[in-house]
Amino acid sequence: MSPADGYALSSLGRSAGPAALILSSLAGGAKHGYALTKDIEEFAGVRLAPGTLYEALSRLDSQGLIEALDSDDRRRPYRLTAAGAVALQSHLRAQRQLADVGLSRLGRLADNRGAT
Amino acid sequence: MTTPAEEGPRRPPADGPSRPEDGPPATTGGAAGQAHRAERLLRWYPASWRDRYGAEFTELLIADLAERPRDWRRSADVARSGVLARLGAAGLASHPAGTARAGLATLACACAVFLTFAAAMWAQLAIGWQWAPPATRATRVAMIVMSGAMLLLAVLAVLAVIPAGWAGLRAIRHRRGRDLRGPALLAGAGALVLAVGGRHFGNGWPGTGGHWWPHQGLVPGGVAAFGWASTLSVTSYWAHPAALASFPAAEVAWMVVSPAAICCLVTGTIRLLRRLELSPRAIRFESWVGGAAGLAMTAFLAGALSWVTEGESGPRGLFQTGLVDAACLAVMGLALVTGGRALLLAWRAAGAGTGWGTASR
Repeated sequence: MSPADGYALSSLGRSAGPAALILSSLAGGAKHGYALTKDIEEFAGVRLAPGTLYEALSRLDSQGLIEALDSDDRRRPYRLTAAGAVALQSHLRAQRQLADVGLSRLGRLADNRGAT
Repeated sequence: MTTPAEEGPRRPPADGPSRPEDGPPATTGGAAGQAHRAERLLRWYPASWRDRYGAEFTELLIADLAERPRDWRRSADVARSGVLARLGAAGLASHPAGTARAGLATLACACAVFLTFAAAMWAQLAIGWQWAPPATRATRVAMIVMSGAMLLLAVLAVLAVIPAGWAGLRAIRHRRGRDLRGPALLAGAGALVLAVGGRHFGNGWPGTGGHWWPHQGLVPGGVAAFGWASTLSVTSYWAHPAALASFPAAEVAWMVVSPAAICCLVTGTIRLLRRLELSPRAIRFESWVGGAAGLAMTAFLAGALSWVTEGESGPRGLFQTGLVDAACLAVMGLALVTGGRALLLAWRAAGAGTGWGTASR
């Protein structure tokens, strides 16, 4: 994937972590703020505080990674855009690579300790 | 934010598509106290943010207050986030997209300054050529280069407006156009005054007004006259009040009004750029247009420098250079350097925003 394919979550600074959680949640379908909070709490075990959630939401919205849907009530749902899907995929691949390397090295470390 | 390890083991994602309608019951009359507390918390945020997210954020706060009536961490989180939003609205804290927009806005400002002085210089030569062509090859080439650069800048200006206009229409469609109304009106009023006044005073110029291609001029007479009239204020006559007093009062008034109109146009455009939610792709496109504009401005400056250093006065002094032309060159050089730095800022910010993929390699 080329760097031009999407915005880096790391460029969101302190919102990068919540942004990854929000994008992952929206990958499962459109949700409004409260539904996002509950879904993220369920799959990640993290409860995003309202201010943190909307700080990340507004940044993702302004960067075109998510978009608001029309709603009849005051709770406005959001959905993932194509750019957001690309960005999330790239981020998750990087995370998986990191996890693979870390687990592999930990495994070798355990083997070496067992040998000695 | 607490880590998953602190909060307990992770659970697998829920199966099936999630439902936007998931959530607590809608606000009822019994929750008036929570609604009041939510409204108070919302005051931490700036008006522009409240206009956009206020209603939905209040609903989330009410739901959160219903679940956790007493939680100082929520209040602290909202206060921190609200202050950051206020700093961001004031341009004191920004993320890459905001920095890129600020860079583009500065670039637009630098381009406007450059264009004003460039148009004044170019119109002087274009009108001179309506009467007689330059005597030297160097001035001819300089004029052709300057005219080509002006044409390219005009095309680039149109290209730059397209994504910005699209973003504006998108904002209006999503009912976020209220913030854009003021800057759009300011820019529109400036453009209208400049167009009407430039046309009016351009038509009054003898030998050019009303004639599309009189004599053998390099550019149509109407275009040259409009360029001259809209930049009438860029003149050394300000240093000669006695000569200025002999001008018709309407023309002197126009020399005061036209720069004000240009200021309105530029200020409105920059405010629009700062408020528009440009997508990463649009920011990259605008940066590309800005880079091309930088090349065109460099070419123009080279042509103008060639003409000024050649020092040809031409038949009847039509192409005579003066101190005002040297001053124009200095201002244009400064605007070009400023624009270049702003473009680099925008590029770097866009690059920081698109550097996501590099972390995976």
